[in-house]
Amino acid sequence: MEKIRIIEIQKRVYANNDEDAKVLRKELQDNKTFMMNLMSSPGSGKTTMLVNTINRLKDQLKIAIIEADIDSDVDAYTILNKTGVTVNQLHSGGSCHLDCGMAKEGLEDIRYKDFDFVVIENIGNLICPASYDLGQALNVLILSVPEGDDKPLKYPKMFTKVDCLLVSKIDTLSVFDFDFMALETNVRKLNPTIQIFPISAKTNEGMEAWCNYLVEKIKQFKKADFK
Amino acid sequence: MHELGLVIQVIKTVEKYMKENKLSTVESIVLQVGQLSEVYPKYLKDVYPIAVEDTLLKNTELIIEETAGIGQCDDCHFNYNLVENSNECPVCSSKKFSIISGKEFLIKELHAY
Repeated sequence: MEKIRIIEIQKRVYANNDEDAKVLRKELQDNKTFMMNLMSSPGSGKTTMLVNTINRLKDQLKIAIIEADIDSDVDAYTILNKTGVTVNQLHSGGSCHLDCGMAKEGLEDIRYKDFDFVVIENIGNLICPASYDLGQALNVLILSVPEGDDKPLKYPKMFTKVDCLLVSKIDTLSVFDFDFMALETNVRKLNPTIQIFPISAKTNEGMEAWCNYLVEKIKQFKKADFK
Repeated sequence: MHELGLVIQVIKTVEKYMKENKLSTVESIVLQVGQLSEVYPKYLKDVYPIAVEDTLLKNTELIIEETAGIGQCDDCHFNYNLVENSNECPVCSSKKFSIISGKEFLIKELHAY
Protein backbone atom coordinates (compact mmCIF):
# COMPACT_ATOMS: atom_id res chain seq x y z
CA MET A 1 0.00 0.00 0.00
CA GLU A 2 1.21 3.44 -0.87
CA LYS A 3 2.17 5.71 1.95
CA ILE A 4 -0.18 8.48 2.89
CA ARG A 5 1.15 11.95 2.28
CA ILE A 6 0.05 15.07 4.06
CA ILE A 7 -0.25 17.86 1.56
CA GLU A 8 -0.50 21.37 2.90
CA ILE A 9 -2.57 23.41 0.53
CA GLN A 10 -3.80 26.38 2.59
CA LYS A 11 -6.35 27.26 -0.03
CA ARG A 12 -9.18 29.64 0.64
CA VAL A 13 -12.50 27.88 0.26
CA TYR A 14 -13.75 30.69 -1.95
CA ALA A 15 -10.73 30.40 -4.28
CA ASN A 16 -12.59 28.32 -6.87
CA ASN A 17 -15.40 30.84 -7.13
CA ASP A 18 -12.90 33.70 -7.19
CA GLU A 19 -11.15 32.15 -10.19
CA ASP A 20 -14.44 31.79 -12.08
CA ALA A 21 -15.26 35.39 -11.22
CA LYS A 22 -11.93 36.59 -12.59
CA VAL A 23 -12.68 34.92 -15.95
CA LEU A 24 -16.23 36.29 -16.08
CA ARG A 25 -15.08 39.80 -15.10
CA LYS A 26 -12.63 39.78 -18.01
CA GLU A 27 -15.38 38.68 -20.44
CA LEU A 28 -17.66 41.45 -19.22
CA GLN A 29 -14.85 44.01 -19.52
CA ASP A 30 -13.99 42.89 -23.06
CA ASN A 31 -17.63 43.24 -23.99
CA LYS A 32 -18.08 46.56 -22.13
CA THR A 33 -21.03 45.23 -20.15
CA PHE A 34 -21.16 46.86 -16.73
CA MET A 35 -22.51 44.41 -14.16
CA MET A 36 -23.78 45.57 -10.78
CA ASN A 37 -24.35 43.16 -7.90
CA LEU A 38 -27.17 44.49 -5.75
CA MET A 39 -27.45 43.11 -2.23
CA SER A 40 -29.66 43.76 0.81
CA SER A 41 -32.03 42.21 3.33
CA PRO A 42 -35.48 41.12 2.17
CA GLY A 43 -37.88 44.06 2.09
CA SER A 44 -35.29 46.84 1.90
CA GLY A 45 -36.84 48.28 -1.24
CA LYS A 46 -34.46 46.81 -3.84
CA THR A 47 -37.11 46.34 -6.49
CA THR A 48 -38.70 49.79 -6.00
CA MET A 49 -35.28 51.43 -6.14
CA LEU A 50 -34.42 49.47 -9.30
CA VAL A 51 -37.64 50.40 -11.09
CA ASN A 52 -37.02 54.09 -10.31
CA THR A 53 -33.34 53.87 -11.40
CA ILE A 54 -34.12 51.98 -14.63
CA ASN A 55 -36.78 54.49 -15.66
CA ARG A 56 -34.25 57.31 -15.27
CA LEU A 57 -31.54 55.56 -17.29
CA LYS A 58 -33.27 53.38 -19.87
CA ASP A 59 -33.21 56.03 -22.63
CA GLN A 60 -29.42 56.31 -22.49
CA LEU A 61 -28.42 52.70 -21.68
CA LYS A 62 -29.44 49.22 -22.81
CA ILE A 63 -30.42 47.66 -19.49
CA ALA A 64 -31.18 44.10 -18.37
CA ILE A 65 -32.06 42.81 -14.92
CA ILE A 66 -31.36 39.39 -13.48
CA GLU A 67 -33.60 38.69 -10.50
CA ALA A 68 -32.45 36.01 -8.09
CA ASP A 69 -34.83 34.59 -5.55
CA ILE A 70 -35.21 31.34 -3.72
CA ASP A 71 -38.61 30.98 -5.39
CA SER A 72 -41.35 32.91 -7.29
CA ASP A 73 -41.15 35.53 -10.02
CA VAL A 74 -43.13 38.41 -8.51
CA ASP A 75 -40.19 40.84 -8.61
CA ALA A 76 -39.37 39.98 -12.23
CA TYR A 77 -42.97 40.76 -13.27
CA THR A 78 -42.99 44.00 -11.28
CA ILE A 79 -39.85 45.19 -13.03
CA LEU A 80 -41.02 44.06 -16.46
CA ASN A 81 -44.42 45.74 -16.07
CA LYS A 82 -43.07 48.99 -14.67
CA THR A 83 -40.02 49.47 -16.92
CA GLY A 84 -40.30 47.24 -20.01
CA VAL A 85 -36.61 46.24 -19.87
CA THR A 86 -35.37 42.65 -20.28
CA VAL A 87 -35.73 40.66 -17.05
CA ASN A 88 -34.54 37.16 -16.32
CA GLN A 89 -35.57 35.27 -13.20
CA LEU A 90 -33.08 32.94 -11.55
CA HIS A 91 -34.07 30.51 -8.83
CA SER A 92 -31.36 29.57 -6.40
CA GLY A 93 -33.26 26.43 -5.36
CA GLY A 94 -33.07 27.17 -1.65
CA SER A 95 -29.51 28.46 -1.61
CA CYS A 96 -29.07 31.71 0.32
CA HIS A 97 -26.65 33.35 -2.11
CA LEU A 98 -25.59 33.36 -5.76
CA ASP A 99 -22.21 32.11 -6.85
CA CYS A 100 -20.38 33.07 -10.00
CA GLY A 101 -21.58 29.99 -11.91
CA MET A 102 -25.22 30.94 -11.35
CA ALA A 103 -24.54 34.56 -12.33
CA LYS A 104 -22.91 33.36 -15.55
CA GLU A 105 -25.94 31.22 -16.42
CA GLY A 106 -28.21 34.19 -15.87
CA LEU A 107 -26.01 36.39 -18.05
CA GLU A 108 -25.86 33.86 -20.86
CA ASP A 109 -29.65 33.41 -20.79
CA ILE A 110 -30.20 37.09 -21.55
CA ARG A 111 -27.30 37.22 -24.07
CA TYR A 112 -25.59 39.88 -21.98
CA LYS A 113 -23.50 41.07 -24.91
CA ASP A 114 -26.54 43.03 -26.11
CA PHE A 115 -26.54 45.19 -22.96
CA ASP A 116 -24.54 48.11 -21.48
CA PHE A 117 -25.77 47.69 -17.94
CA VAL A 118 -26.84 44.49 -16.19
CA VAL A 119 -28.03 44.39 -12.59
CA ILE A 120 -28.06 41.15 -10.65
CA GLU A 121 -30.47 41.44 -7.78
CA ASN A 122 -28.93 38.98 -5.30
CA ILE A 123 -30.83 36.90 -2.75
CA GLY A 124 -32.11 39.06 0.14
CA ASN A 125 -29.54 38.31 2.85
CA LEU A 126 -26.73 40.31 4.48
CA ILE A 127 -24.44 37.35 5.18
CA CYS A 128 -23.29 34.94 2.48
CA PRO A 129 -23.71 37.05 -0.69
CA ALA A 130 -20.76 39.06 0.68
CA SER A 131 -18.45 36.06 0.31
CA TYR A 132 -19.07 35.37 -3.37
CA ASP A 133 -17.48 37.45 -6.10
CA LEU A 134 -19.77 37.33 -9.15
CA GLY A 135 -17.42 39.17 -11.51
CA GLN A 136 -19.30 42.44 -11.01
CA ALA A 137 -17.93 45.91 -11.75
CA LEU A 138 -19.80 47.42 -8.79
CA ASN A 139 -21.09 46.04 -5.49
CA VAL A 140 -24.04 47.97 -4.12
CA LEU A 141 -25.80 47.42 -0.80
CA ILE A 142 -29.18 48.79 0.24
CA LEU A 143 -29.99 49.30 3.90
CA SER A 144 -33.44 50.66 4.67
CA VAL A 145 -34.15 53.01 7.56
CA PRO A 146 -36.58 50.58 9.31
CA GLU A 147 -33.78 47.98 9.57
CA GLY A 148 -31.82 50.20 11.96
CA ASP A 149 -28.47 51.98 12.10
CA ASP A 150 -26.75 49.10 13.96
CA LYS A 151 -26.57 46.75 10.96
CA PRO A 152 -22.90 47.50 10.13
CA LEU A 153 -22.04 46.26 13.64
CA LYS A 154 -24.00 43.05 13.14
CA TYR A 155 -23.02 42.24 9.55
CA PRO A 156 -19.57 43.78 9.19
CA LYS A 157 -18.37 41.65 6.28
CA MET A 158 -21.09 42.88 3.93
CA PHE A 159 -20.30 46.52 4.70
CA THR A 160 -16.60 46.03 4.02
CA LYS A 161 -17.24 44.38 0.64
CA VAL A 162 -19.39 46.99 -1.06
CA ASP A 163 -18.44 50.05 -3.11
CA CYS A 164 -21.64 51.93 -2.47
CA LEU A 165 -24.35 52.00 0.20
CA LEU A 166 -27.87 53.25 -0.50
CA VAL A 167 -29.77 54.13 2.65
CA SER A 168 -33.32 53.65 1.43
CA LYS A 169 -36.77 54.73 2.67
CA ILE A 170 -35.17 57.92 3.96
CA ASP A 171 -38.67 59.48 3.90
CA THR A 172 -39.50 57.35 6.99
CA LEU A 173 -36.64 58.80 9.07
CA SER A 174 -38.98 60.79 11.33
CA VAL A 175 -40.86 57.69 12.57
CA PHE A 176 -37.84 55.47 13.35
CA ASP A 177 -34.99 55.84 15.84
CA PHE A 178 -32.42 55.82 13.08
CA ASP A 179 -29.26 57.84 13.67
CA PHE A 180 -27.84 58.59 10.23
CA MET A 181 -24.59 60.03 11.67
CA ALA A 182 -24.04 56.89 13.80
CA LEU A 183 -24.61 54.72 10.75
CA GLU A 184 -22.15 56.71 8.69
CA THR A 185 -19.51 56.55 11.45
CA ASN A 186 -19.94 52.78 11.85
CA VAL A 187 -19.81 52.16 8.11
CA ARG A 188 -16.76 54.35 7.49
CA LYS A 189 -14.86 52.60 10.26
CA LEU A 190 -15.26 49.37 8.30
CA ASN A 191 -14.93 50.83 4.84
CA PRO A 192 -13.32 54.28 4.55
CA THR A 193 -13.79 54.63 0.77
CA ILE A 194 -17.50 53.68 0.56
CA GLN A 195 -19.96 56.01 -1.19
CA ILE A 196 -23.15 56.58 0.78
CA PHE A 197 -26.39 57.93 -0.72
CA PRO A 198 -29.56 58.49 1.30
CA ILE A 199 -32.47 57.82 -1.05
CA SER A 200 -36.22 57.47 -1.25
CA ALA A 201 -37.49 55.81 -4.39
CA LYS A 202 -40.97 56.93 -3.35
CA THR A 203 -40.34 60.69 -2.98
CA ASN A 204 -37.35 60.67 -5.39
CA GLU A 205 -35.10 62.24 -2.73
CA GLY A 206 -31.45 61.44 -3.46
CA MET A 207 -32.26 59.43 -6.59
CA GLU A 208 -30.64 61.93 -8.93
CA ALA A 209 -27.34 61.96 -7.00
CA TRP A 210 -27.28 58.14 -6.95
CA CYS A 211 -28.03 57.88 -10.69
CA ASN A 212 -25.38 60.48 -11.54
CA TYR A 213 -22.82 58.46 -9.58
CA LEU A 214 -23.90 55.26 -11.34
CA VAL A 215 -23.80 56.77 -14.83
CA GLU A 216 -20.34 58.19 -14.12
CA LYS A 217 -19.14 54.71 -13.02
CA ILE A 218 -20.57 53.14 -16.19
CA LYS A 219 -18.95 55.82 -18.39
CA GLN A 220 -15.55 55.27 -16.73
CA PHE A 221 -15.93 51.50 -17.19
CA LYS A 222 -16.79 51.85 -20.87
CA LYS A 223 -13.85 54.14 -21.49
CA ALA A 224 -11.35 52.08 -19.52
CA ASP A 225 -8.77 49.93 -21.21
CA PHE A 226 -8.56 46.67 -19.25
CA LYS A 227 -5.73 45.04 -21.15
CA MET B 1 -27.58 27.86 6.53
CA HIS B 2 -24.98 28.60 3.87
CA GLU B 3 -22.74 25.69 4.85
CA LEU B 4 -23.98 23.40 2.05
CA GLY B 5 -22.81 25.88 -0.59
CA LEU B 6 -19.46 26.15 1.18
CA VAL B 7 -19.00 22.39 1.38
CA ILE B 8 -19.72 22.15 -2.35
CA GLN B 9 -16.98 24.76 -2.94
CA VAL B 10 -14.59 22.69 -0.82
CA ILE B 11 -15.40 19.54 -2.81
CA LYS B 12 -14.93 21.31 -6.16
CA THR B 13 -11.60 22.77 -5.05
CA VAL B 14 -10.28 19.43 -3.74
CA GLU B 15 -11.45 17.50 -6.82
CA LYS B 16 -9.69 20.01 -9.04
CA TYR B 17 -6.56 19.71 -6.93
CA MET B 18 -6.72 15.90 -7.15
CA LYS B 19 -6.93 16.01 -10.95
CA GLU B 20 -4.14 18.56 -11.30
CA ASN B 21 -1.83 16.64 -8.98
CA LYS B 22 -2.92 13.14 -10.07
CA LEU B 23 -3.99 12.01 -6.61
CA SER B 24 -6.05 8.82 -6.61
CA THR B 25 -7.44 8.90 -3.09
CA VAL B 26 -7.87 11.52 -0.42
CA GLU B 27 -8.26 9.90 3.01
CA SER B 28 -9.14 13.12 4.76
CA ILE B 29 -9.52 16.85 4.30
CA VAL B 30 -8.52 19.22 7.06
CA LEU B 31 -10.42 22.49 7.15
CA GLN B 32 -9.41 25.39 9.31
CA VAL B 33 -12.46 27.31 10.50
CA GLY B 34 -12.12 30.46 12.55
CA GLN B 35 -14.58 31.32 15.31
CA LEU B 36 -15.24 34.64 13.58
CA SER B 37 -15.67 33.22 10.06
CA GLU B 38 -19.50 33.05 10.11
CA VAL B 39 -19.19 29.31 9.36
CA TYR B 40 -20.45 26.70 11.81
CA PRO B 41 -18.43 23.46 12.05
CA LYS B 42 -21.48 21.49 13.20
CA TYR B 43 -23.42 22.36 10.04
CA LEU B 44 -20.40 21.64 7.85
CA LYS B 45 -20.25 18.16 9.38
CA ASP B 46 -24.02 17.68 8.99
CA VAL B 47 -24.19 18.47 5.28
CA TYR B 48 -20.86 16.93 4.27
CA PRO B 49 -22.04 13.28 3.81
CA ILE B 50 -24.83 14.39 1.47
CA ALA B 51 -22.57 16.71 -0.50
CA VAL B 52 -19.87 14.10 -1.17
CA GLU B 53 -22.24 11.45 -2.58
CA ASP B 54 -21.34 10.75 -6.22
CA THR B 55 -18.04 12.65 -5.96
CA LEU B 56 -14.39 11.54 -5.78
CA LEU B 57 -14.57 12.28 -2.05
CA LYS B 58 -17.37 9.91 -1.07
CA ASN B 59 -15.05 7.97 1.28
CA THR B 60 -13.06 10.98 2.46
CA GLU B 61 -13.22 12.02 6.08
CA LEU B 62 -13.77 15.66 7.00
CA ILE B 63 -11.64 16.98 9.84
CA ILE B 64 -12.29 20.45 11.20
CA GLU B 65 -9.78 22.48 13.19
CA GLU B 66 -11.21 25.49 14.89
CA THR B 67 -9.13 28.58 15.47
CA ALA B 68 -9.93 31.00 18.26
CA GLY B 69 -11.22 34.50 17.63
CA ILE B 70 -8.44 36.60 19.11
CA GLY B 71 -8.38 40.37 19.19
CA GLN B 72 -5.90 42.93 20.42
CA CYS B 73 -7.24 45.74 22.56
CA ASP B 74 -6.72 49.08 20.79
CA ASP B 75 -6.25 50.84 24.13
CA CYS B 76 -4.04 48.58 26.31
CA HIS B 77 -2.83 46.16 23.58
CA PHE B 78 -3.81 43.07 25.56
CA ASN B 79 -4.66 40.02 23.42
CA TYR B 80 -7.86 38.22 24.39
CA ASN B 81 -10.53 35.82 23.14
CA LEU B 82 -13.25 37.99 21.61
CA VAL B 83 -16.01 35.36 21.82
CA GLU B 84 -15.44 34.45 25.47
CA ASN B 85 -15.19 38.10 26.51
CA SER B 86 -18.05 39.42 24.34
CA ASN B 87 -15.66 41.78 22.51
CA GLU B 88 -14.69 43.57 25.74
CA CYS B 89 -11.10 43.72 26.98
CA PRO B 90 -10.85 41.82 30.32
CA VAL B 91 -8.02 44.13 31.45
CA CYS B 92 -9.24 47.64 30.72
CA SER B 93 -12.87 47.05 29.60
CA SER B 94 -12.31 48.83 26.28
CA LYS B 95 -14.57 47.69 23.45
CA LYS B 96 -12.17 48.80 20.74
CA PHE B 97 -10.10 46.00 19.25
CA SER B 98 -8.39 44.78 16.10
CA ILE B 99 -8.90 41.18 15.00
CA ILE B 100 -5.73 39.07 15.04
CA SER B 101 -7.12 35.67 14.18
CA GLY B 102 -10.36 33.76 13.79
CA LYS B 103 -11.65 34.92 10.39
CA GLU B 104 -9.95 32.14 8.41
CA PHE B 105 -11.84 29.56 6.43
CA LEU B 106 -9.23 27.46 4.68
CA ILE B 107 -8.63 24.04 3.23
CA LYS B 108 -5.54 23.50 5.34
CA GLU B 109 -4.29 20.13 4.15
CA LEU B 110 -5.16 16.88 2.43
CA HIS B 111 -4.11 13.44 3.59
CA ALA B 112 -3.74 11.63 0.29
CA TYR B 113 -1.96 9.08 -1.81
